Amino acid sequence: MAYPIPILHSAVNIMTPLLLASMGGLFTELSGMLNIALEGLLLMGAFCGVVFTYYTGSMVLGVLLGILCTMLLSAVLATVTVNLKSNVFITGLAVNLLVSGLTVVLCFELFANKGVVVFDGMPALPVLDIPVLANIPVIGDMLSGHPAFIYLSWLLLAVCHGVLYKTPFGFRLRATGLHPTALASLGIDPNRYRFIAFLISGFTCGLGGAMLTLNLGAFVPNITAGKGWIALVVIFLGNKKPLGLLVAALVFALADAFSNYAQGALNIPADFILALPYVFTLLVMIGFSIYAKKKDSIQS
Amino acid sequence: MADTQRHPRVSALVRDSAGILLIIAIALAALVILAFLLSKTPGKTLWYFFFGPLQNTYYFGNMLNSAIPLIFGGLGVSLAMRSDNFNLGGEGQIYSGAFTATICAIQLAPLGIPGAVLALLAGALVAGFLGGLSGYFRMKWDTSELITSFLISNGVVLMVNYLIAGPFMDTSTNLIATQKIPEAFHLPLILPPSNLSSALFLAVVAVFCVHFYLFKTKMGYELRMSGLNRQFARYGGIDTKLYMVLPMFLSGALYGLGGGIAIYGTYFSCMKEFSTGMGWNGLAVALIAKFKPSAVIPAALFFAYIEAGSRNAMLHSDVTFEIASIVQSVVFFLVTSEVLQRVFGKKGDR
Amino acid sequence: MEFAVEMLGITKTYPGNHFLANDTVDLTLRKGEILCLAGENGAGKTTLMKILYGMEKADAGSIRVMGKDVRIASPLDANKLCIGMAHQHFMLVDGFTVAQNVVMGIEPTRFGCLYDQQQAVKRVEEVIRKHQFSIEAGKPVKSLTVGQKQQAEIVKMLYRDVDILILDEPTAVLTAQETDHLFHTLRSLAKDGKSLILITHKLHEIKEISDRVAIMRQGKMVGVFETSQVDELELSRLMMGQSTALHIRHGATPEDRQAIIRFKEVSVTRHGQQQPLLNRVSFTAQSSEILGFAGVAGNGLGVLEAVLGGFLPVSSGHIYHREKEITNQSQRQLRSHGLAYVPADRLRVGSALEASVQENLIIAARASFSRYTILQKKRMAEHTRRLLEKYSVKGAPGMPIGTLSGGNIQKVILAREMEQYRDYIVLSEPTWGLDIASSQYVYTRMAALRDQGAAVILISSNLDEILALSDRIIVFYQGSMVAFLQGDEARDVSKQELGAYMLGLKCQQEVLHG
Repeated sequence: MAYPIPILHSAVNIMTPLLLASMGGLFTELSGMLNIALEGLLLMGAFCGVVFTYYTGSMVLGVLLGILCTMLLSAVLATVTVNLKSNVFITGLAVNLLVSGLTVVLCFELFANKGVVVFDGMPALPVLDIPVLANIPVIGDMLSGHPAFIYLSWLLLAVCHGVLYKTPFGFRLRATGLHPTALASLGIDPNRYRFIAFLISGFTCGLGGAMLTLNLGAFVPNITAGKGWIALVVIFLGNKKPLGLLVAALVFALADAFSNYAQGALNIPADFILALPYVFTLLVMIGFSIYAKKKDSIQS
Repeated sequence: MADTQRHPRVSALVRDSAGILLIIAIALAALVILAFLLSKTPGKTLWYFFFGPLQNTYYFGNMLNSAIPLIFGGLGVSLAMRSDNFNLGGEGQIYSGAFTATICAIQLAPLGIPGAVLALLAGALVAGFLGGLSGYFRMKWDTSELITSFLISNGVVLMVNYLIAGPFMDTSTNLIATQKIPEAFHLPLILPPSNLSSALFLAVVAVFCVHFYLFKTKMGYELRMSGLNRQFARYGGIDTKLYMVLPMFLSGALYGLGGGIAIYGTYFSCMKEFSTGMGWNGLAVALIAKFKPSAVIPAALFFAYIEAGSRNAMLHSDVTFEIASIVQSVVFFLVTSEVLQRVFGKKGDR
Repeated sequence: MEFAVEMLGITKTYPGNHFLANDTVDLTLRKGEILCLAGENGAGKTTLMKILYGMEKADAGSIRVMGKDVRIASPLDANKLCIGMAHQHFMLVDGFTVAQNVVMGIEPTRFGCLYDQQQAVKRVEEVIRKHQFSIEAGKPVKSLTVGQKQQAEIVKMLYRDVDILILDEPTAVLTAQETDHLFHTLRSLAKDGKSLILITHKLHEIKEISDRVAIMRQGKMVGVFETSQVDELELSRLMMGQSTALHIRHGATPEDRQAIIRFKEVSVTRHGQQQPLLNRVSFTAQSSEILGFAGVAGNGLGVLEAVLGGFLPVSSGHIYHREKEITNQSQRQLRSHGLAYVPADRLRVGSALEASVQENLIIAARASFSRYTILQKKRMAEHTRRLLEKYSVKGAPGMPIGTLSGGNIQKVILAREMEQYRDYIVLSEPTWGLDIASSQYVYTRMAALRDQGAAVILISSNLDEILALSDRIIVFYQGSMVAFLQGDEARDVSKQELGAYMLGLKCQQEVLHG
């Protein structure tokens, strides 16, 4: 069976921006905020990452600057939501709206082009072949030979886990979502942790978004196409734990990779595939509500 | 306190408007900054932005015309919000309502005007069903209607896209659109050469109807009490479960009606993604109007003005139309801030 | 410097509803003493302590700790002053362990950023062992019993090396044994030189544990006494208020009373709690009488009200309205059958603060004002004007009801319910917060309703009210009926005796066991 391997390989690739976005979203979710701005933040990272790389000629610098810009945006979001006490969903929408407009405006301003912008002379993503891993039959082909980003994201996932479960910060963050009054009664301000959670989501989305565009060496309007929403589903399906995120992200990536194949080979309309993230999220949300309601009624 | 009691309505109005005016001022300030940053001729850009839509009947009429779907959307969201429901599914509701109305209008052509009305109602019904579905999920399982309406809307938009580009496409034109509705169904233009149609009157009628429903009928009263204090409403014997679903249904229906009327008045066939952004603007209109039907018209005009100004600036200057979304996002950012709202509410607080 | 804490002239009004929670309150706490802060619900005890702990800010007044003037802006400040608080509603994260909850905010670390869990458990265990508590530091909080959670709450304080401890209703959910153990701990803490304030309304506990007792009522400090110099009944009198001279004549006893509302063996149990909230309650409310229910807050009165009002289902038993079964009917159904109900929670249940006075007034009668679904504004306005005048309500019909004073809001609610009753009316704490004149008016109207034939069900913790109005009296203690007084008994019973029933000191066995 020759064809599964390319699908598995591309799944790992596809999974990475999703995993990164969901990692950041996990922090905000654990602090009790439903962060739908992941979509906009990813797009911001995608745009800034590729544009800064083009201008500076260095991928590292470009990505870092892109992350910085995305974190700045998430800081604005955090200020308006947490400090100015706004509805988190509406401000998230505002971010998404802002970024989709801003990227087009800037593309037009800088490159006189509102569509796909291809950048010449872009450095290629450094690909790593992991020595021992590459030799294992199926897994090796799946896991080795990826851009360095991907291995970085796995490292970050481990750091995520460490921070959440092995540092005081992680405990206080989780307490912010579970019982903010308990924190306040000890003199700790939950708002501080919510703010930092937003910044973290800016960081991970900045990195994840950059991967999307640097993979292509071009910026495509709306390249994120719902990935921010799937990141939320990944968080819920992964039971809000880092390891679960990995599994859920992989599942979605496999589905995505398969559907790319299916679109060519099986002729399913593109729109249906694009609608899947939203349908999935909807079903997951309803499922969770039913589950929560049943749990509630048993308890009372 | 004595002051407030002497002119309670006026001072309340001033307090409410002050917050909104501040937000609008900030949004326009952002626009000015953008013009200076992005345009090589900021003065010209700003002139065309602020005065372009007003300079002749064509631009002015078009601006008024684009406010019409926003009025319907704003009414819809306001109605839902009064019952403490957030309808974020406007994009899908307006689009699916327009599509359904178009297809039905084509099919019901032989019935004449009654057919036209039926087709509009069919569009409203489909869109209302989508809204009502979110309300139902909330009533049954406490699922956030805010999120479900948004998700359903996104899925529906893609579905309608598929239908228009696929089975329902009119292959005789180069556009990705359905066939045209019968000529007899077109609404008359009232301000040529612009495309402002008599739909404007329908919009104003809709404002009256919603205002009447909310403030002068028993059902409107029950709806509002359910929204203000659900426990109190239940205590008084109101069927609060009904008012979790019905307002969402009506809200979607208003959006769908707006979509159908847009087709009858301006577009005449359902083009792919013709209504993109109307749903969000409807939401923004409702937020600015603070969910008061009477304030929806000025709020809708404001938004239509922003878009018309952007378009004008784009045509005559060197900026792109998307600055409108940047200005709109500033409004979205600030309009739900409790802190900003309280800044003007502090004096004479109760 | 013998005072650990001095609070002087503390005043606090909650902005949202103009509620004067503390009215120039003075409180002193001596070093090494156990002071009980007593009073009924809503007296202002918790607010006062939250101010001391930095969770609320006073509008006026000053605080001195150990003789020094201080400003306490947050719990962090309070901790720095060695003040700790164990809350009534536990501030514990269920998903974390005891140790993780206790050390939150001052977690021990390795290399500056890694959480040293073992060290945390060790140190918490030390504190646990020192005070002979029974909990294990490594266990998740959600697996603890209520009593153990209380211990965890207290360990949180002790871990932080506090000298002044505030405990808010610490025994509310403890068994007798757990309470004994707690008191033993508290006494040894006091002996170690720590100063303690206990918020409670349990009279026998006040007598058992405290050196002094400070009594608050309706936001004011009523008095501070050496515990040895007051007895329980006097305490209850101080907590509940002086007798006001009420002039209500009792109704004549007509022979043809009908059973309007009948409770048969009604019980309400809650998952996870051993004690039922209502325990096999049976009674009949008849026409042309006022049936008064008395009891200390938390002993079942609130649950009874919720059942009567239709928003709490019963676990077993039956309820009848004119012999038609209405057990567990919805509020909608009850309303359509003529429920008139004045709730104790005026602001959250009895009114919609942002709606106008008129809109609040017509909710139950809205159907009678609408013809073909259109509201008849003129008739509504006329009705509103008439009622506002009749009940002397100070406020305009078009203003949001939240701008009215608490007393006037209650008058609107009373006007609404009293004017549209059909055969019975339930009133819970109807004169709480009203001045004497208004209370008098309410009582007159209640008597008039009774004379018209209504079955008036009065649920109140105000003993004067119960005594002055009720034709029959039922006393609740811990969810069960413990006394049933009628006729001459009801007329002649004294406050002391009623208090005795309410505190569980006396009991009519035949009533308790049905």
